Amino acid sequence: MKKNSRRRFGKWRQEASAWLIMLPGIILFAFFLWAPLLQSVRMSLYQTKNIELTNFIGFDNYISVFKKSDFLQALRNTFSYTLWSLLIGFLIPIFMALAIGETVRGKGFIRTASYIPNILPGLAAVLLWSAFFSAEKSGVINILLAKLGIDRMAFLSQEHMVIPIIVLIATWKGAGATALIYMAGLAGVNPELYEAATIDGAGIWKRIRHITLPAIFNLGSTLLILQIISIFQIMYEPMVLTKGGPDNASLSLMLLMWRYAFGGRMEFGKAAAMGVIISLILLVFTGLYTIVNRRKTEWE
Amino acid sequence: MKRHIRFLAVAAALCMLLTACNGGETPAGGTETDGGGNSSLPSAAPPAELDNISGDVVDAGLTCTLTLGNVPPDLAPAAEKALFEGYIAAMNKQYPNVTVVPAYYSYTLSSYVGMARGGTAPNIFQPPFTDPQLLISQELVADVTGALQSIDLLDKFSPSFIELLGSEGRIYGLPRDGYVLGLHLNLNLFEEAGLMTEDGLPMYPKTLQELAEVGRTIREKTGKAGLVFPASETYGGWLFTNIAWNFGATGEYALERVDEDGRWICDLTSEPVVAALEYVKSLRWEYDILNADATTTDWAGAHSALGTGEAAMNFAADDSVAEPTAGKGLAVDKFALAPFPSGPKGSYSLSGGTCFMFSPDTTHDQAVAALGFLKIIGMLPFMDDDVIAGMRAGAAAKRERGAPVLPPIPAWNDEDFIAKQREIAEEYTNVDMRLYDDFFHNILIKAEEPVFAQQLYRELTSAVQRVITREDADVLRALERAQEAFQEYLDDEMNS
Repeated sequence: MKKNSRRRFGKWRQEASAWLIMLPGIILFAFFLWAPLLQSVRMSLYQTKNIELTNFIGFDNYISVFKKSDFLQALRNTFSYTLWSLLIGFLIPIFMALAIGETVRGKGFIRTASYIPNILPGLAAVLLWSAFFSAEKSGVINILLAKLGIDRMAFLSQEHMVIPIIVLIATWKGAGATALIYMAGLAGVNPELYEAATIDGAGIWKRIRHITLPAIFNLGSTLLILQIISIFQIMYEPMVLTKGGPDNASLSLMLLMWRYAFGGRMEFGKAAAMGVIISLILLVFTGLYTIVNRRKTEWE
Repeated sequence: MKRHIRFLAVAAALCMLLTACNGGETPAGGTETDGGGNSSLPSAAPPAELDNISGDVVDAGLTCTLTLGNVPPDLAPAAEKALFEGYIAAMNKQYPNVTVVPAYYSYTLSSYVGMARGGTAPNIFQPPFTDPQLLISQELVADVTGALQSIDLLDKFSPSFIELLGSEGRIYGLPRDGYVLGLHLNLNLFEEAGLMTEDGLPMYPKTLQELAEVGRTIREKTGKAGLVFPASETYGGWLFTNIAWNFGATGEYALERVDEDGRWICDLTSEPVVAALEYVKSLRWEYDILNADATTTDWAGAHSALGTGEAAMNFAADDSVAEPTAGKGLAVDKFALAPFPSGPKGSYSLSGGTCFMFSPDTTHDQAVAALGFLKIIGMLPFMDDDVIAGMRAGAAAKRERGAPVLPPIPAWNDEDFIAKQREIAEEYTNVDMRLYDDFFHNILIKAEEPVFAQQLYRELTSAVQRVITREDADVLRALERAQEAFQEYLDDEMNS
């Protein structure tokens, strides 16, 4: 009996110290993540007066948000951002990592240079690119086009061009950092594999296909889901560059959420509902990723 | 290790170099910074007119801290900064126990909500006339009825301002000044295009049709945009509203009205509105007079385009004449303000204004102190020496920094006060009033649409953007979408 209680006390003491170690983290998570998250879900079910909750209205905020035509447009646009991001933003960091990995001279310099856009403040990067894409004579790209005898173009006024341009800017800013992560993954590949493949006569493409890509597959799928989550929350780029225009062609779900709260409506309940909807969509993506990842592990 | 030390040394040297550069520079406007980056007093002295403000103590018992929004920041023109420092010095004399804290805050709805809720909004701030009712309904402003009563200001409120700034018999703000939309002109481009009379006056467009033609002439002769049209966010809809009125979207075709069932409805697909949007579309695709970046140009960008000579005309109001001139370097004598061009069915000019409101945590004492400050800067409709000196100082500082000194669009109905404002503007004038005469004498003012004007402007901006970015855009369809979206909004907010 005495032995049992001593064992229980010992176990408790062990657990208590574990809890104590975790406590600061739990407090920070609870305060900065879980509480606002739950508060946001709660707010989405209420009518609001500025940020105060007034009446419980159930799912009315959700219904109202779904009914509005700008929601569908923003949803479509956000998927379009995601698609373009996968086309442009997913592959570029992999190419960069592979190219830098194969570089013999000036590797350190290229690695640093590719990371520099990432340390630029986001708004500064967007403003910088707005000068490039300006339709006025001072627009850098238009100056280059003029040298080639091509007429000026209003890039940011073209509905079909505006999302790819925004994704290009986001990629320019973030690709270097993602490439570094891929490079870290590539550093873990046993060099003997490459040597053996080279001895067997494998060229660069075969080495990439049969050694490099399988080595970074898991990392790539994790970064893919993170990229989708990140691009789904795109907001300040369209907000600064196009204000969601032209004709809402670059309006994202997050920007619509901002408009509900701060764009002249002060409908914080509906903004919270938008936030919950975005989270649910992302939860679906994360779930899909988990299933795919689990199956892949099982096959292996 | 050595490499790291070398890297750190280079980084430190760069930082020191940059800091040293900063310390030695004198920013435009004459302010200077010391080696530590702190701003010192501006090089301009406060206007001598401020000496006429009484130095006698008005209320020694009033003890509070007053945070003032819209105080010019460190990099503002020296004359403007000196003026405010003079005003604050006068305030310190008259209310020795009121601590005035400058906040440099310029109101936007998106920034204000968080600040008001977090208790960091300045006690006085200046929203446009489109926002007071929203702020009142959201309980984001203080009730200042008592403070207004204490200086007998309530009697001077016209019923329209009580409606605009009040709710259920309580008052939450006071008007600052009005504005009327017109046409800003860059006379350098008018001269280059040969559009000046022998008397040196611009042959400005009096109708919207003439606007298209004059704009085309300017484009052909100078290569610059005839008209800068800020069509981003809500600006495009704001300007389009005036165009639509002048095409006949008033009365039975009003953009907003109450139907026989008492329901708020919008009518954005009527014949006049369609014609107005067709007209805007033609400015891009037929006359090609708009600036290339219209959909990303905002209010400030439009003033910049006119001031720097990238565009010859801009739909803008009399309260922003300082932007292209003092702000962007267009000489005062190369700037003119014409009335908003008339259309086939009307000659209206949209009018609005700016008011003073108070953060929700403002106490009665702070509101009384704030009104004391507004009196010193000449914004209250009283005819005492302090108010007049404050108005004179304001006009002198405006002239000093190269902004046109014009008679204001009055916010108060007090005739003596209005006459005094005009007299002072005349005394300090730095412009050829022939360049402004038509604006001040030949306009028909019309107030903004009555409910949720900003939301209406946002939907109309989308329609405008559609037709100026797609040559094949269906004008009616664009307006139907705006109609649908705004009616949904009205149903949610007004009819449910």
